[in-house]
Amino acid sequence: MRAMIIDDSRAMRSILRHIVTGLDFETAEAVHGQDALDQLRSGPVPDICLVDWNMPVMDGYTFITEVRANPAWRDITLMMVTTEGEQRNIVRALAAGAHEYVIKPFTPDAIVEKLELLGLLNHDAAPDGVLA
Amino acid sequence: MNMLTFFDPASADLEAPDLEDVRSVTEDVWMALLGEDEALAPRAVPAGAPFDAAGAWSAAVTVTGGWQGVITIELDETVARTVTARMLDIPTVDEVHDGDAADAVGELVNMVGGSIKSLMPGPSTLSLPSVAAGRAAFASDVQEVCRVDVAWRGGPVRVCVHVPQGGPR
Repeated sequence: MRAMIIDDSRAMRSILRHIVTGLDFETAEAVHGQDALDQLRSGPVPDICLVDWNMPVMDGYTFITEVRANPAWRDITLMMVTTEGEQRNIVRALAAGAHEYVIKPFTPDAIVEKLELLGLLNHDAAPDGVLA
Repeated sequence: MNMLTFFDPASADLEAPDLEDVRSVTEDVWMALLGEDEALAPRAVPAGAPFDAAGAWSAAVTVTGGWQGVITIELDETVARTVTARMLDIPTVDEVHDGDAADAVGELVNMVGGSIKSLMPGPSTLSLPSVAAGRAAFASDVQEVCRVDVAWRGGPVRVCVHVPQGGPR
């Protein structure tokens, strides 16, 4: 499995990378939505994108709408991982094509749980301790 | 120094967040990032006292829309660098560069501010974080409505919420 982590915070990318590599994912990283789109165009295409909302250049919501507008990327699973917790915006993101929504701060277990729900978890992978 | 200025107070809801909610949000973010065994300790500070760390990092996010406010976090220099090392998987604090600290402290205030935003009337928008090496300073058109002083490993940490002058109602 391959995950793309899209967040302007290097600290947050590091935390998410630590979690998903512990679950046997290969990772790529993008610093905003446009960077992620550029990487998708040049390939390889990931199985899942973990997408922050509030980013410079292109925010996560716009990124999701761009991905969903391209049929070639319809198999990519999109998971928002963001501080944006307003119900209105959660609904907007899900309606735009996000599959799951995780609100920061999160525990590693919350990410594992969502990946499991999405059927993306290799059960042979050990979700070992990550943050501390 | 992180100099914060403001927005249009005309139509905003100037309600203040509950102090215990802000304290709880701060603790939740801290423990999510650093682990359950890294609790923040309460710290008694006289009202109006400036942040008293010898060296400090500060960061702020602004909320605009249905509620308006500025959320700031100030951290003792050693606390900021230690937290950064933990968040970025940097082996020792001596290897933490200013850019690393700016990124980590910015994400801290983003998470605290985003959580506080979700407690307040919406719809509203959270700004990108601004970060500075130094303590926060505030423009004269805002007033502090909430302040949490805590300590981590003996170093001071402060979270403040400011709203435009005239609030809260």
